[in-house]
Amino acid sequence: MEKFSYVNATNLEQVTSLLNDSGWGEVMVIAGGTDLLGELKEYVETPKTLVNLKTLPGMDSIAADATGLKIGALTTVADIAMHPTIQRHYTVLAQAAASVATPQIRNVGTLGGNLCQRPRCWYYRDETVDCLKKGGEICYAVEGLNKYHAILGGDPVYIVHPSDIAPALIALGATIKIAGPEGEKTMAVEEFFTLPATNPFRENVLEPNEIVVEVQVPQPKPNTKSLYLKAREKGAPDFALASVAGVFEMSGSTCNTASIVLGGVAPAPWRSKEAEAALTGKMISEAVSKQAGADAVKDAQPLNDNEYKVVLTQNLISRAAMMAAHA
Amino acid sequence: MPEKKEYKVIGTRPIRHDGVDKVTGRALYGADFHTAGLLHGRVLRSPHAHARILSIDTSRAEAYPGVKAIVTAKDLPDAADKVADLGEGAVHLKYLCDNILASDKALYKGHAIAAVAATNAHIAEEACALIDVAYEVLPPVLEVRQAMEPAAPLLHETLKTGSLGETAEEPSNVASHLQHKKGDIEAGFAEADVIIEREFVTGTVHQGYIEPHNATALYNPDGQLTVWCSTQGAFTVREQLTEILQYPISKIKVVPMEIGGGFGGKINVYVEPVAALLAKKTGKPVKVLMNRADVFEGTGPTPASFIRVKMGATKDGKLTAAQTHLAFEAGAYPGSPVGAGAMCIFAPYDIANVLIDGYDVVVNKPKSAPYRAPGATNAAFGSETVIDELAKELNIDALEFRIMNGAKEGVKRADGPVFPRIGFIESVEAAKQHPHYTSPNGKKHHGRGVASGFWFNIGLASSVSISVNPDGTINLVEGSTDIGGTRASIAMQAAEVLGIPAESVNPSVVDTNSVGYTAVTGGSRTTFATGYAAYEAAQDVKRQLIARAAKLWEVDEEDVQFADGEFSCINGKEAQLSFHDLSARLGETGGPVVGSAAVNPPGAGGAFATHIVDLEVDEDTGKVQILRYTATQDAGKAIHPSYVEGQIQGGVVQGIGWALNEEYIYNAEGTMTNASFLDYRIPTCLDLPMIDTVIVEVPNPGHPYGVRGVGEVPIVPPPAAIANAIYDAIGIRMTELPMSPDRMLKAMGKI
Repeated sequence: MEKFSYVNATNLEQVTSLLNDSGWGEVMVIAGGTDLLGELKEYVETPKTLVNLKTLPGMDSIAADATGLKIGALTTVADIAMHPTIQRHYTVLAQAAASVATPQIRNVGTLGGNLCQRPRCWYYRDETVDCLKKGGEICYAVEGLNKYHAILGGDPVYIVHPSDIAPALIALGATIKIAGPEGEKTMAVEEFFTLPATNPFRENVLEPNEIVVEVQVPQPKPNTKSLYLKAREKGAPDFALASVAGVFEMSGSTCNTASIVLGGVAPAPWRSKEAEAALTGKMISEAVSKQAGADAVKDAQPLNDNEYKVVLTQNLISRAAMMAAHA
Repeated sequence: MPEKKEYKVIGTRPIRHDGVDKVTGRALYGADFHTAGLLHGRVLRSPHAHARILSIDTSRAEAYPGVKAIVTAKDLPDAADKVADLGEGAVHLKYLCDNILASDKALYKGHAIAAVAATNAHIAEEACALIDVAYEVLPPVLEVRQAMEPAAPLLHETLKTGSLGETAEEPSNVASHLQHKKGDIEAGFAEADVIIEREFVTGTVHQGYIEPHNATALYNPDGQLTVWCSTQGAFTVREQLTEILQYPISKIKVVPMEIGGGFGGKINVYVEPVAALLAKKTGKPVKVLMNRADVFEGTGPTPASFIRVKMGATKDGKLTAAQTHLAFEAGAYPGSPVGAGAMCIFAPYDIANVLIDGYDVVVNKPKSAPYRAPGATNAAFGSETVIDELAKELNIDALEFRIMNGAKEGVKRADGPVFPRIGFIESVEAAKQHPHYTSPNGKKHHGRGVASGFWFNIGLASSVSISVNPDGTINLVEGSTDIGGTRASIAMQAAEVLGIPAESVNPSVVDTNSVGYTAVTGGSRTTFATGYAAYEAAQDVKRQLIARAAKLWEVDEEDVQFADGEFSCINGKEAQLSFHDLSARLGETGGPVVGSAAVNPPGAGGAFATHIVDLEVDEDTGKVQILRYTATQDAGKAIHPSYVEGQIQGGVVQGIGWALNEEYIYNAEGTMTNASFLDYRIPTCLDLPMIDTVIVEVPNPGHPYGVRGVGEVPIVPPPAAIANAIYDAIGIRMTELPMSPDRMLKAMGKI
């Protein structure tokens, strides 16, 4: 890794002003560092200054009341996974957090870092490859090895978004608070992530001088069942080949509303309106759940090596719906 | 033939002597080594899989502040075409040297090109980026069948196929062709009622030891070279250094540090000669460490292979013929384990007509290195799948079919040797009678599979010396790297002879100046051969102590008996002394007692294993989950049963990883895209059930306690057993490793 200077942050204004003086990559923020350190060691990022956010006060806790959750961006993934209220009422979020990496990584990795982590694409992570994501001309995954790449929303960069927590938050209708030089703003987590057609270089709307400070999650309605299914090659640590965050508001086995958000298959968490439409107002049967899966992938455009992800995604959606209705 | 008898120490489970150091983090590994004035080395590696090196300009790097020395292949002695004999077969010295630092061509991505020594590791890494190398990039060849094509790009313009004693006219990537023949293969197939022929492909996999390679070297002004490193054999490092550096063996001392896994991958040297060259140039100690990507890209994996197996049997279940074509990737330089694969593939069976052809083929990947029963796992994936298919076709229980055709004492292997007493049938019987095999198995998408495996094991030289302490303990000095509990298993064999507890032995693994020659910890030989040396050294101590007791009691040596740790007089005179009490009286009877032995035992006993696996195939995701696993194995005699079980479990886990997840994924340019433990998936506890073990004991006639090697054979059956279980679950034969979710979904016709 290259040399850098290291600043312990004391307040948000200081952080945004440090960031404000540079574009991407000169000054970077670090919290858990579980993603960033790998990038530094592999020369994917070579910042001159690292700003340590862990020293910011009051951003590492979870507040839960009848209206919902407020989770500070510095809250560890482990704290989210093990929080009793989250486990009971926001099951999809607890399950998604628990599926991240390993206990050691969950103990230091943070919510903010999980949402803002960079792609695991093996071309992006190779310092010698000047790919489209890094400002080059070509997304090498298109003609190259693409077993782990996107089947939806890829054009022109076929990375998949690696976060497990993001699909869960979107399925729960969460909002995200961002701090910048002009103060704070709040938006839906769904709006936070962007596709490469909008911006091939980044995965979200953050400007170089902005950071995530908090996530708010509304309390799900009664009779809500939520769950996170993650297909991966090995038990841990592993990223999703495909994952489904599902939030289902049920009357018996009839689905009143469904939120279905996919991970591991698109450059951003992928909300499947098609699957939601196929489930909403329906009595969940084998046939209905299968239809939802099929509808979700009807526009999928697999590459040479990842056609299996189409069937995998389809089957996971159908399994999630059946589990919500009948398990 | 050793008799089955009662032992006091053998077969018990004492706490290992190195246990406390290891669990408290105090054990010293190579990366922990530190000394005054230490410099740090870093290796520059080729970004290309195949390229001619046109020039290397080190001037910018040399001028970088903090850089103390830079070395390239030019700093190695001229290797020319000398052939070095390193005990494990002749090796072209040029190949050996070029793999340390490439001279004319880079033959794989990660091939070492140059190295820097600097005042710290960061400067060394930064300076590597300032070395200017001009390459002429050449097309790589990355797959064994492509490499065998006549039009394939050539790695070595001078390499010509050696085939059955003849050398070909034209250069080729096929380094050699070997053949084993027994009986009449055509007649054998003519006798058969059922013939099955299948093709198999296995991926490139790495040993995956947790500790990366490391070495620290120091040249003293008097010319003495000392190297501290992580190795399976300090003497093997010394031999390789003397050849590569063309430096007198007597001036090289190799100090083995504690080792964090090897599995065969820490026999070849990589950074040791580089550290030595940098140390010589700087006059300072230099430490060179690899990171994980260096390990994946710059050290020996075990080869990918293409295997064709054809076997025939009569309708009453007699195997009549077996034929195979084994094509193994050697990596950049000749020397794949295809020879060992050829020795093992049909060895469990008594088959009259056999034809085995093996091909050693160079490709643009790292030079392959041994990996736990090298070559045997690839081969067994083919043969044991075909055996399963034959048994199904003939409607014979798969284990019964193995028993009907199983090799036993007196059967001649296709490659020549005649089996002494072996325990294959016993290991299969143990599996057949195991509650796992007799339990119900019929749930949807659940399957059960079995497979067997063979590994021949080796003997080779070992030395041990024992000195007796006045408090009745002994110090045992050995040269065998302790990877899997061999300090304990060797100490226990000496303790058994001397009638003392295992805890009364202080074992030390020492440097090459401090013990007699000892070959590598490999070939499952250590408990067998170094244990044999410990047994003999303890016999030497016993003889000397009998003489001391005779002296004390003023009787003839023949009148002193030693049993159960007690010396006693048997000529009527009342006299008795324990080992402990006699140890305290050495001073008055002539001084210290030191016993020693150097052995090269010929009677290594082959090991057989039979495994049973239950698994579930998730039809929606293609994921294979192992539900239950039982491994039976003939250990000859289990000296320390816990470590035998540990070896079996470890081998099974590595075999499961190989079967389901592990592979080098190469892009078209020959870059390994998954050179990290995140993307190269070795199994974790979440992927595995408890691995049940059954130790079968059919004593090896070639060892005083009947020991057979145990470490390697347990990796052999898992891929075939798992493929057979997948067939049982979903009716599909998997013929390509790894059997990952995408391949499974494809095989199931879901894509």
